[in-house]
Amino acid sequence: MNVIEMKGITKRFNDLIANDNIYFDLGESEIHTLLGENGAGKTTLMNILSGMYQPDEGRIYVKGKKVNISSPEISLNLGIGMLYQHFTLVPTLSVLENILLGTNKKFFLPKKEAKKKFNEIAKQYGLHMDPDVKVWQLSLGEQQKVEIIKLFYQGLDVLILDEPTSVLTPLEIEDFFRMLKSMKESGKSVIFITHKLKEAFRISNKITVLRRGKKVEEVDLENKTEGKGKDKILNQIVEVMFKDVEPIEEAKEIPKRTMGETVLSLEEVTVKNDKGLEALHKVSFSLRRGEILGIAGVDGNGQKELAEVIAGQRKVSSGRISINGTDITNKSVKFINNKGVFYVTDDRMGEGCVGNLTLAENVILRCYKKEPFSNKGIILNLKAIEEYGEELIRSFRVKAPTAKALVKTLSGGNIQKALLAREFSQQPIILICSKPTHGLDVMTAQFILNEIKMQSSRGTSVLLISSDLEEIKELSDRIGVIFKGELLDILSNEKATREEIGRLMLGLKRKGK
Amino acid sequence: MEILRTIFSEPFFVTLLGGSLTASTPIILAAVGENFVESGGVLNLGLEGMMIIGAFAAFVVALITKNVYWGLLSGMFASVSIAVAFGYLVIYLKVNQIVAGLGIYLFGMGIASLLFRIIFGREFPVVQGITAKTPIPYLSEIPYIRSIFNQHIITYISLFLLPVSWWILYKTSYGLNVRAVGEKPIAADAHGVNVYRTRFITVMLGGLLAGLGGAFLSICDLSFFVDNITQGRGFIAIAIVMLAKWNPSRIFYGAFLFGICQSLTFGLQIVGLDVPREFILMLPYVAVIAILTILARNTHLPGAFCMPYERE
Amino acid sequence: MIVKKIIPAIGPIFAILAALITGGIILLVIGLDPIRAYSELFKLGMGTYLGITESLKRMVPLLIISAGLIIVFKAGIWNIGINGQFLIGAILVGWLAPLLINRTPLYLSFLISGLIGFLGGAIWVIIPAMLKAKYEINEIIATMMMDFVAFNFTSYLVKGPLNAYPGRFPQTTIIHLSKRLPHIPFTDIHIGLVVGLLLIIAAHFFVRRTTWGYEFRLLGENKRTALHAGINVQKVIFVGMLISGGLAGLAGANDVLGIKGAFQAEWNPGYCFAAVPLVFLARFNGIAVIPLAYFFSFLMVGGEFMSRAASVPVYFVHVIEALMLLFFSVIEYIQKKEKLFWKS
Repeated sequence: MNVIEMKGITKRFNDLIANDNIYFDLGESEIHTLLGENGAGKTTLMNILSGMYQPDEGRIYVKGKKVNISSPEISLNLGIGMLYQHFTLVPTLSVLENILLGTNKKFFLPKKEAKKKFNEIAKQYGLHMDPDVKVWQLSLGEQQKVEIIKLFYQGLDVLILDEPTSVLTPLEIEDFFRMLKSMKESGKSVIFITHKLKEAFRISNKITVLRRGKKVEEVDLENKTEGKGKDKILNQIVEVMFKDVEPIEEAKEIPKRTMGETVLSLEEVTVKNDKGLEALHKVSFSLRRGEILGIAGVDGNGQKELAEVIAGQRKVSSGRISINGTDITNKSVKFINNKGVFYVTDDRMGEGCVGNLTLAENVILRCYKKEPFSNKGIILNLKAIEEYGEELIRSFRVKAPTAKALVKTLSGGNIQKALLAREFSQQPIILICSKPTHGLDVMTAQFILNEIKMQSSRGTSVLLISSDLEEIKELSDRIGVIFKGELLDILSNEKATREEIGRLMLGLKRKGK
Repeated sequence: MEILRTIFSEPFFVTLLGGSLTASTPIILAAVGENFVESGGVLNLGLEGMMIIGAFAAFVVALITKNVYWGLLSGMFASVSIAVAFGYLVIYLKVNQIVAGLGIYLFGMGIASLLFRIIFGREFPVVQGITAKTPIPYLSEIPYIRSIFNQHIITYISLFLLPVSWWILYKTSYGLNVRAVGEKPIAADAHGVNVYRTRFITVMLGGLLAGLGGAFLSICDLSFFVDNITQGRGFIAIAIVMLAKWNPSRIFYGAFLFGICQSLTFGLQIVGLDVPREFILMLPYVAVIAILTILARNTHLPGAFCMPYERE
Repeated sequence: MIVKKIIPAIGPIFAILAALITGGIILLVIGLDPIRAYSELFKLGMGTYLGITESLKRMVPLLIISAGLIIVFKAGIWNIGINGQFLIGAILVGWLAPLLINRTPLYLSFLISGLIGFLGGAIWVIIPAMLKAKYEINEIIATMMMDFVAFNFTSYLVKGPLNAYPGRFPQTTIIHLSKRLPHIPFTDIHIGLVVGLLLIIAAHFFVRRTTWGYEFRLLGENKRTALHAGINVQKVIFVGMLISGGLAGLAGANDVLGIKGAFQAEWNPGYCFAAVPLVFLARFNGIAVIPLAYFFSFLMVGGEFMSRAASVPVYFVHVIEALMLLFFSVIEYIQKKEKLFWKS
């Protein structure tokens, strides 16, 4: 019997149909992957199962009984737990308090018993953790372990994991898959959400493919005979995911560039984060004209602080940063912009733009004091601003009705394009790009990667900060790896293997060894 | 020298100490309530309005029934009603908390003054003889500090509430929920905690305590009611909660400091220092600003402070 | 096109009506006659020459204060200590203007007095401004505290050192009628109205059409984006607060020079009650402030008439103003739910 059956699920957000009449079943002791591009509707579907969203149409059955999951509490009571993509841990509370949150039905907090149970579960699955540590002190991988322990702590039968490998290095992913297999063997059912085909193939019993809100394919990997095998199924899935009316852009070759003199240089830069702890420790590297330097690393190892300190949004504790010889250490953002350094942030809505302002008002963020956008830097020239917005929409193929559209009405991919357009149009000498394609569908992602390549061929040097190895590998000339605030090594892209980079991301191989 | 001898004389000290505790009681009550509210992520700027309404309702009922307990209960009831409206506005309707808070503040002030004028006109009624202090045997006879043990029951209760509120916040499930909801509501929601209900309960608690504080002020402390009777005590309580970094024991220090400033109004006159009355009245507010300047750097506000929670 | 302009107005109009109706219910419950009260209100406020001119006169401080408020509120800075800033500006002018008038040409003394008022209000907001700019300390509390200090301080001053008539009702030197702000030709309204209108329009223009206004709006919408853009957030906060404080002080100068002629004891007009709901209902749009300011002013004037004629205390108007703010916030929620998007 199927543990979960979702029938005819439809969910709309304004004009967007996120889930369109989807049928999805989950069996016992099964790992069922929900595969699809970013934006295909996988997370939405599972948020309905976990009780965060309500479907507009459709029915859900758990163990044969029809249920109405109107809140996360009900979902949990049904034995369904979810590991969300953006963690649901409270950073200022300790690990133990997070475990107790929502799981403790009593009036008091039974800390001793909880600790005992916690340690047992941790041991059972080989996860080592101190329950009294505050969550903000943990790395992302460790936080994920806490979330997983919490799911086990509640004795849930159905586990939904949303893109769990996005915060893990290649080695950690191996451990993770091993754990999944043992979970399946102990009788649990797992729904694994990913956009990575290879992962789906490695561990699934079944794969359901979503595309643009619709279910387009379902394959049962175990019932196919040997031989007829994986390749054919793989092709089948690729076709169904990517067959498209518009052709996807090919990954363009990076045009031949001559890399010139050093444009950016960091010397022993040490930076503190918002909590006052050291985020970067004596980081030194240099960037040449026309070069793309990729900085690989798992989120939370100092990347944000690195980008901010170069962009002028954060001060150094010690060290020196210079552009073409000019010292820009601790100078203001505007000073650094004037030197030709620009920063495309990964936090689109939180930092990159203002949702309640129009597209036009957002794209002049870097140039509103200059002519023709303002007369003498005081009075805004609304017409020029609007025209500029329209022009950028056209050249970057941003899907927006006009430049007067409020940014919050645009999709993530289009916002990213607008941000890129904004920074590119300032003709940067140095461009800092942080996770430029994360969360985007493959078409938009390829478009953006191609644009970055084009920009570099025009002489812009690019500092590409990302946790996505594919992105780094496709673009970079050299690859540096950052781990716990230190720049461990810089390798040339040609020579660096994914394994090597993966090990460095875990802090395993150190420079000089 | 005379002045010093007077200040350190037993009667003066006793009056000052006792008066300070009484004066700090409304602030302690309001601050303990607001502590819960803000720990849950809500800013209640209407606290002042709730205290005024509590003070007014309590005063009127106490005047009519000549019973202090009916008065206090009415004050709490009136204030909680307003708090329910406020809670509904900001938690369920997700109205801007600053706007709603200011609206409640203005409303509370206005309606209390309006009703007072209508009921009493130009009269100035006074509540007499219905409250008394409750001295603790033996302790209330120790020289110098005896006035600590000769206070109204409500004062003892307010002091007792300080450790109790800490205990609730840090040692119970509900307190954990409150702190989680104030810091990162989506995390709490995903794990089955009802964010809205948790916050709503804190707002009601805050309303109850604000009402009790206001009621105490008009019935037990002043024995009369005037326009704007609280004179900013609600805002001072909010400032104290922020300065105390949500730690209930520190709330006492702030409230007591206010109480001393209040008491000095009489104290300095007794001593014979010829300080204009208005300067003494300014003292509490200047003290708050001074302390804000000195202490309030790097205050960590809860992550979801002042932001309404929306699931979809 | 016209329809687009009207939709934003629906919210405030509903809020006003709802508040008036609720007010009427409150009156009924208390035992007063709402119909009589409201008819007195409207009749005297709008129907008589005196009512209209008084309303126009009283509108001026609201206009000036609102000009400052729309600038800072748009930046997410909540300066609500304007009562105190007003009083400080007013008492400085009350003290110094009489000295000036006898020594300088009239118009120069007006200019200097205006400046003094502005400076007074600005100085009074410096401490909260610095606390917010440098340490992110909540400006609502800080300005409220300064408010209470101002009330007591000015009270002390006017009853003490600045009292020009010891032994009698305390006030600063009364400025002779001929030396006060002159009237607009053919009317009984002083030129402060012109100043007020100019200021509110200037503030409107400032917010929407200048680069500084853009920075304020950016800060108000998303502080992190403002930092990302390289805006000097500390400077914006500090300057914004000074402007709003200064304008509150200027309003104080206006009231002393144009209406009262002196700073009197026990005087605290409490324009904060009216100005804050006003600018919210206007959605921080300077042009919308103008009719709303007239309406609020007319409420105040009518309220005073009402208190004498229909024995409804003036506080009733405060209650109505508070209700307007609350209803407006509810209506904003409803309109958000109905997805009526517009830009104000």
